[in-house]
Formats: sequence, structure tokens, C-alpha cells
Amino acid sequence: METPHYVAARVQRALAEDERTTELGIRVDVRGEEVYLRGQVSCDERRRQIENVAREAAPGLRVHNETTLVEVREAGEEEHL
Amino acid sequence: MRELRIAAVADIHLGEDLRGHYRKKIEGIERRADVLLVGGDLTRHGTISEGRVVAEELSGLPIPVVAVLGNHDYHSDHDQEIIDLLRDAGIVVLDDEGAVVSVDGVRLGIAGGKGFGGGFAGKCASEFGEPETKAFVRHTKEIAERWRRALKDLDADHKIVLSHYSPVKDTLMGEPPEIYPFLGSYMLAEAADAEGADLFIHGHAHAGTEKGVTPGGIRVRNVALPVIKHAYTVYCLNGDDC
Repeated sequence: METPHYVAARVQRALAEDERTTELGIRVDVRGEEVYLRGQVSCDERRRQIENVAREAAPGLRVHNETTLVEVREAGEEEHL
Repeated sequence: MRELRIAAVADIHLGEDLRGHYRKKIEGIERRADVLLVGGDLTRHGTISEGRVVAEELSGLPIPVVAVLGNHDYHSDHDQEIIDLLRDAGIVVLDDEGAVVSVDGVRLGIAGGKGFGGGFAGKCASEFGEPETKAFVRHTKEIAERWRRALKDLDADHKIVLSHYSPVKDTLMGEPPEIYPFLGSYMLAEAADAEGADLFIHGHAHAGTEKGVTPGGIRVRNVALPVIKHAYTVYCLNGDDC
């Protein structure tokens, strides 16, 4: 079995460099045959693409997409400096 | 002098799939803020079509919009075209320079640009060794020098630095320390501290924290969208009545 450390590095690079994702802020952890993706994304489509790219970069492993959608809220309270 | 209300956001990462979404969230911004500052990573891949989406989302607002690019906006080597089309849409884009916007007679000077990395004092890269390492460090050094001069030349009542990369570690807390050198450089803070500013706005560090301060005492705010979780945050620079 490939060393999990290198699988995680390959998935992370794929998520950053693949044109479908270009996501630099996704944390990738590999434990045995399980791949965990964590971080924040801005829409469902981007979340799906992250999962697709991760699956391609880690064939045969089970990908758990634990990324969360960033809910962009209306402006909050002001800060007086 | 009246109070100035500065709306700020960064890392909006717009593309076709988000067309119209951000605009909806900033409608009515003129009731809450006098100017909108956008701290880079306007797009995902830095394509011209994504740049057009950004121009559409940010143009035609009743308040001035001032922006800088981020690393994502350079990815497709169309940074200059994106700058041009944003400027054509009426957005002030700072590319290592300064600009002054007037709000009811109060002059707000903003200086900045994308910025770059290198790390923070004591744990940073030096202009030494291989040409690639020297070029990396020199890039930040040259940017910092241009910002220092731009800040000095600003004739304004208040001054703000607008950047994509961070000037301090404070606002990176939450990011892995191993990647700090890719998230900012102390040289950006040093330039601001040399000339003085009321506020330093940046983005880039999605997992960072909002508030920090430069060694010279300038307030730093990381307004990356995943950090502030709002369409923008408003900072009020006090006038005589505060």
C-alpha cells in the first residue's frame, strides 16, 4: 500500500493545481484506505468538483467529503477603530 | 471631520457559477459604508471571463470600489487584462500604487497591491543562494519599497494599505505555521510602519483570524470571506465626533 503521507500530498496538490478546483485551503488526511477532505467552499458545485478531483488522485481509496459551505451573510456589525 | 466607514472583503473568488450571488449581498452597501475595498483573489483561475464576472458584480455601485489582485488572479497570466477591464468598469485597481478617494470632502488615501510572501522576522527567507530564492525575496522587497513610496506620496486625511498578502503573523493564526512564508511578509508591515497608516487590510489566509496589529501599531484586518463570513465588514475611522 502506498504511504498515506504521499497520497495526502498528491491529493492536496491535485486540488490546488487542477483547473476544476484550484482550491488551496482544503486539508487532506489519509488514514488507511480513507481520505478525509476538510475546509470551506463557496458552493455545492465546487464541493462536488473537489470530491471528483480527490477521487481521481486517490483511486481505490474511500473519499469522505467533509468540506463545509461558506454561508455568506449580509454585512455584520461595524467596528470603530 | 466626519467619520469614514470602510467596507472591506477579500477572496470572493468569483466565477460563472457564482454570477449574481455576491452582487445581491452588497446591494444597499451605500447605506452602511462610504467605500468598498476588495483585497484580492477576485477570481478562481484568473481568466478573462472570470474577470468580467467580477467587473459586473462590483461595477455601478453608488460608492467607490478600490481593489487589488491576489495570487489566483495571476494564475492564467491575464492579470493586466483583468486590471484593465476592472478599470474600464470604474473600479480603482491598485497595482503597487496609491489613490485618493474623496468622501464628503474627507480625503481617503489607499496604497497597495497584491503583495507577496517570504515570512516573518526571524523566520523568513533571505536574498541569498540560488537565483530562484533571491528572486522570490526580491519580489517582496521591491513591492514593499513601492508601497512605502506610494504611502509617502499620498496627500490624504486618512491612509489605508490594501493588500492580498498579510503583513503580520497575528492574522494567520489558524493556518499551519509551515505555510506562513507563503501567506505574507514582515516587509509589507515595515513599509506601512515607516510611513504610517490608519489600517492595513488583507486577505489570502482563509483559515486565519480577523484582527492583528503591526509592530508599529497599525491595526491589521484579515477580511478573507471565509474568515469574516459576511459579504463585507465595516471599519469606522473616527472623525471628530468619535
